[in-house]
Amino acid sequence: MNYFNIIYGFLFLPIVIILYNIMPKKIRPIILLIASYVFYFLISKKLIIFIILSSLSIYLATILMQKMTKEKNESMQNASKEERKIIKEKYKRKKKIILIITIIFNFAFLFYFKYLNFFKHLLQDLFKITGNLKIVKHLAPIGISFYTLQAISYVIDVYNEKIEATPNIGKVFLYLSFFPTIMEGPITRFSDVNDTIYEGNKVTYHNFCFGYQRILWGFFKKYIIADRLNIFVKLTFNNYFNYSGLTVALGIIFYTILLYMEFSGTMDVVIGSSEIFGINIPENFRQPFFSKNISEFWSRWHITLGLWFKNYIFYPVSLSKPVKKITTFVKEKLGSRISSLVMGGISLFVVWFLNGLWHGAGYTFLFFGMYHFFLIITGNILEPLIIKICDKLKINRQNPFYKGFQIFKTTILIFLGELFFRANSIKDAFLMLKRIITHFNLNTFRGEIFTLGLDIKDFLVILIALLIVLIISILKEKGINIRKEISTQNIVIRFALYYALIIGIIVFGAYGPGYAPVDPIYADF
Amino acid sequence: MEKLLEILKELEPDVDYDTCENLVDGRYFDSLTILTLISEIEDNFDVEIPTVEIIPENFNSAQKIWNLITKLQEED
Repeated sequence: MNYFNIIYGFLFLPIVIILYNIMPKKIRPIILLIASYVFYFLISKKLIIFIILSSLSIYLATILMQKMTKEKNESMQNASKEERKIIKEKYKRKKKIILIITIIFNFAFLFYFKYLNFFKHLLQDLFKITGNLKIVKHLAPIGISFYTLQAISYVIDVYNEKIEATPNIGKVFLYLSFFPTIMEGPITRFSDVNDTIYEGNKVTYHNFCFGYQRILWGFFKKYIIADRLNIFVKLTFNNYFNYSGLTVALGIIFYTILLYMEFSGTMDVVIGSSEIFGINIPENFRQPFFSKNISEFWSRWHITLGLWFKNYIFYPVSLSKPVKKITTFVKEKLGSRISSLVMGGISLFVVWFLNGLWHGAGYTFLFFGMYHFFLIITGNILEPLIIKICDKLKINRQNPFYKGFQIFKTTILIFLGELFFRANSIKDAFLMLKRIITHFNLNTFRGEIFTLGLDIKDFLVILIALLIVLIISILKEKGINIRKEISTQNIVIRFALYYALIIGIIVFGAYGPGYAPVDPIYADF
Repeated sequence: MEKLLEILKELEPDVDYDTCENLVDGRYFDSLTILTLISEIEDNFDVEIPTVEIIPENFNSAQKIWNLITKLQEED
């Protein structure tokens, strides 16, 4: 089952809503917990044991750390300043041991399921080991990359005394396994959902309508756009050597569009589903294709992953003792701008290495990470120079044309990054780029464009659907709350819009013979 | 506070620090600018900023940054 399966939207979710609503307030969160575990079991069967172990480990660790924090605060009450420092240090050490054990315990599962085979291959490649290392093929528990990061964030936040550990074991289990977010995130911090996830508030008519409205919007993006582009993308990436340069270029552009529509569409279903139960989940996208540079793009695309890396890797690495030592040395020799570039550079390298690896255990993903590291760090190094050049040439950087140029440049760089992300190998990605230049033939393009699973009607549908997405994105970017605007319209207009959306999906959705639905891409990460 | 304003002006001269309330949320400061700022604050005010304090709410205005510095100085 996945979120775009009709069984999810029109059977599983309605049953959960009904059961949830007929139960008393206290029982409702337990219904969500049972639903989440049923959902999980349907997909991952006996691998469910691993999410139970992770949940249990973070529950015990945080309770223990909370107890220590309480003890620390009590013993500090009547202590002198000096004594307070000693007490603080003592408890910090104790808590750190628990923190490290819990992190290792949780990452060990992730490593085993996702990276063990990759590292065996890597060792083989690096040391030219002949013969075969034992490669064990196994399915990973669904959502392990997402819930592990959530688990770690909760433990670290309690360790840092940013939040209090909850004594409610059901709440911790639900936080990690909540069925709308378990497959593809958003990577939610405990503080994001602490107030709502275990409240058991009744499903209101308003939440129900708003939730399903958002789910339908996700269906629109996935069924009308992403699924329609899938065959074209598959053919161009797998058989690029048969197609003209222009077709390959179009395939690359289509893949980024497909990825955005599939992933952001999933997030619409996820956030909509949570909204029905009054549970606020953070947004994962904020009009990413209006970004003026790569680092802005990453603050608008897969936002919660970016924030996780920023909070738990970027700043801690930047401010760690060894990095600080290096930067102090550089600062004395070369000044503070260079030293902060070095400090940020080291941390950005770690972040993007891990970010690449998080997306998948493979060279293409590592390349994808390093590509973005290179772009961001170069952007930072060149920034003062670009400002100087603009000033010299009297280019107003606030000018809409200049901004448009920046957005265009960023979009092209993103297309290239996603090419490496999707390509079957790094070599294939470069060969595809080469083909765009060496086989740029308009006549061949004309002859083959309608042979890749899309006819003129399909192209037209994609174009109109993308225009609708673009208009809505522009309105959102201007700060207009479209859903609120719709809700203030009278009932005839509102329902006309909903029916138009439903009929649009049924009539123009790319399903049935001749189409192949996109598998949930991020669920594999 | 004057010393802080001096540091801030050197970092991003175009910002009006008297009125700006969204230095981080409005993307006037990116992560690298914040790192430079932290390093300057640590050198000039003899405090150590723990990672847990690096949240937008603490860096969104000059006044908030100043509040963070005084809080850390008192705790020390």
